[in-house]
Amino acid sequence: MENSEEEIQVPFPPNPNNGQETEESSNGSDEEDDYDDVEDDEDDGDELEELPARVHDVVIKGNTITKDWVIEGEVEGLRNASTMRELIEAAKIANANLHDLQIFDSVNISLEPGPPELVGTANVIIEVSEAESKLSGELGAYTKPSVNSWTLEGALKLKNLFGYGDLWDCSLAFGVNQTSDVSVGVFVPRLKGLLNPVVARVFLHSQDWHEYSSYKERLSGISLGLFSTKHHDLAYNLGWRIMTDSSQMSSKSIRRQLGHSLLSSLKYTFKIDQRNSPTRPTKGYAFLSTTQLGGLAPDHRSLRFLRQEFDVRYAVPFGFYNAALNLGISAGVIFPWGHGFLNKPSPLPERFFLGGDLSPVCTLGGPSTLWGFRTRTLGPTEPRRQIRGGTDNDNADSSGRDFIGGDLAVSALADLSFDLPISWLREHGIHGHIFAGVGNIAKLTENEFRHFSPKNFMESFRTSVGCGIVIPTKVFRLEANYYYILRQHEHDRGKTGFRFSFSAPS
Amino acid sequence: MAEASENLQKTLVVRKPCYGLPTGCPQCLSAYIYLKFARVPFSLDFQLNYPDSDTIPYFEAGDYVSYNNEKDGIIGSLKKEVVDIDTGVFSTDWIPIKVMLTTWVADALAYELWVGGDSSSVYNIYYSGLPWPIGRVLFLKQAQLLKLKHGITNDNVALKEEEIYSRAKSAFDALSTLLGEQNYLFENRPSSLDAIFLAHSLVILEALPETSELRIKLLEHDNLVRYAQRYKTELIEADTFPSSVPPFHADASSSAPRGFSNWSKILSGSW
Repeated sequence: MENSEEEIQVPFPPNPNNGQETEESSNGSDEEDDYDDVEDDEDDGDELEELPARVHDVVIKGNTITKDWVIEGEVEGLRNASTMRELIEAAKIANANLHDLQIFDSVNISLEPGPPELVGTANVIIEVSEAESKLSGELGAYTKPSVNSWTLEGALKLKNLFGYGDLWDCSLAFGVNQTSDVSVGVFVPRLKGLLNPVVARVFLHSQDWHEYSSYKERLSGISLGLFSTKHHDLAYNLGWRIMTDSSQMSSKSIRRQLGHSLLSSLKYTFKIDQRNSPTRPTKGYAFLSTTQLGGLAPDHRSLRFLRQEFDVRYAVPFGFYNAALNLGISAGVIFPWGHGFLNKPSPLPERFFLGGDLSPVCTLGGPSTLWGFRTRTLGPTEPRRQIRGGTDNDNADSSGRDFIGGDLAVSALADLSFDLPISWLREHGIHGHIFAGVGNIAKLTENEFRHFSPKNFMESFRTSVGCGIVIPTKVFRLEANYYYILRQHEHDRGKTGFRFSFSAPS
Repeated sequence: MAEASENLQKTLVVRKPCYGLPTGCPQCLSAYIYLKFARVPFSLDFQLNYPDSDTIPYFEAGDYVSYNNEKDGIIGSLKKEVVDIDTGVFSTDWIPIKVMLTTWVADALAYELWVGGDSSSVYNIYYSGLPWPIGRVLFLKQAQLLKLKHGITNDNVALKEEEIYSRAKSAFDALSTLLGEQNYLFENRPSSLDAIFLAHSLVILEALPETSELRIKLLEHDNLVRYAQRYKTELIEADTFPSSVPPFHADASSSAPRGFSNWSKILSGSW
């Protein structure tokens, strides 16, 4: 789409200032910016812009596969315009909307005078050029807090296969630690009778946690996006989960959870992110709340749990050296529900795990990372199975303990970033930072909440500090840090030392 | 079990209790009865969501675990690591009877549960802890595997069925002759083969419908049925040792049965 043309032509009599507006073009990904640009240009063409104008007809040309109503749905705002200015602005938004569908190489919207007998009307001519190639591919590598290694991902995309603006993608992802993902998804911007886009994905996810927790998880199923706006997202997941332990070394509580289960859950996410940058925020705030209700099935044997996460970030600018203090606190809790829920454990894969050197500054998604600790390597543990005469299993970890996660997790961070005193580094956004993080996990289920003591919980926080250099890019944040573990428990795997980390904003 | 393990918490993890039995799974019930014969105090725990795992039953002693799918199976592990109740049993019939029990009788019961009979019994025993669609898929998968194992096709199903039941009948005949009017199969003392036979016969008698071909064949042998019913009463319903069971192990005999925990106390894996 890089070579796509986007034009809004307004050959509308009688004002000579028309020329300035005629060549306005919009970029589909910067809809709001374009809107702001229009606001900034208010000093020109005021007279023309306030002329009354309304749309008489919308003519669509160039679509051979794409249904007319798909395009009409994206340009509905044009019909609400009552002045020339509103019409031009609506045309820009319509142009951006059509561009966002990702199914057109070019979009050209022009306004023509309506019938002579209907004064003040305009016909909107939309000329689209459908993408010649329906097939495209992507290849990339990424890492995220819930996965403890790099993952290579490839995707094939099919555009507008049935003319509904439908985008199909088939993606494959493989991690170096035997993580794999296979999924097929479809996005339909709108269907008749539905206001929201239809997002559906069939997936098969496999994750090997033998190194830390002596189990492998495979989840296959379908996810449906039910509602999605800038701040709200509601999705339904239905999946068949299988937990296995090929090493047969797992600890008791993991051993008991091996087997099959049905996940039927609704997940609601509320997110506000007013920070000025996802990779180096220096002012603004962000808030995220995720609520997941599992067990939405008539069968009481499906996984029943309620999981809640909060994440708050606040960036305080200092006004010198571009310095800013990022503060954040994340918390999450999970509890089973249903008959006898007080005696039941929470589902292991839904529990909270902390650890990983990924930067919590740019990851917004609940308690998951803590500087200086390896992924999922702090919190409650249990001894693995013992074998008489010593271990003869290659998969047995030397520590001999499984990390079993927790039902309550809290983490907090403070990160002071500042420009370095070398202009070349400043120009490239490379900056320094010093940081401190704390976090803790506790078990609440199976009546453990009766023994929970907030005082003990606070006193047993793991703590790490460090400093380093950050290289932010458009897609990820590279850090070279020295971590120093101030406090950890006997079985935690925090490590003082120098390490690199890559973090993708979330 | 090593002396250091004597004080460890011992738990036998089995499949769901049903049909008046502490567990409906023949392998699990074999291990249960073996431990009862061995007079080892233990508690029961249940894993309901893993019907296709061959690791169940497994026996935990503290952090030590003996899985069913490991060398010699669960009975072999219990003999090796808990107590061997077969020590001192010498009989030329031992190996043939063992083969008959673990192949002919076990295969016939598996066939009856998954292929030959209605699926209600097997569903209650293995799949009732899972949501219906998952249980159904796993049931069909296991039924298919059994058909493959016995080479059963639509064309030869009647022939294969006759062959399976015929072998089971031969096994029952041999067991009936061997038992006679004794209390146990060998030397009038309980052995691991008694545990295996009792487990299979109790599942056949209690879980299979009255129209079951296998059940009818077992009912033809009064002494086997009496044997099974007697030990069901003594071992399971009374939840105690049969008075006729002699002690097998110096350590085990010194530790009196300390009131076995109720086998329905914990239901795990069904959140």
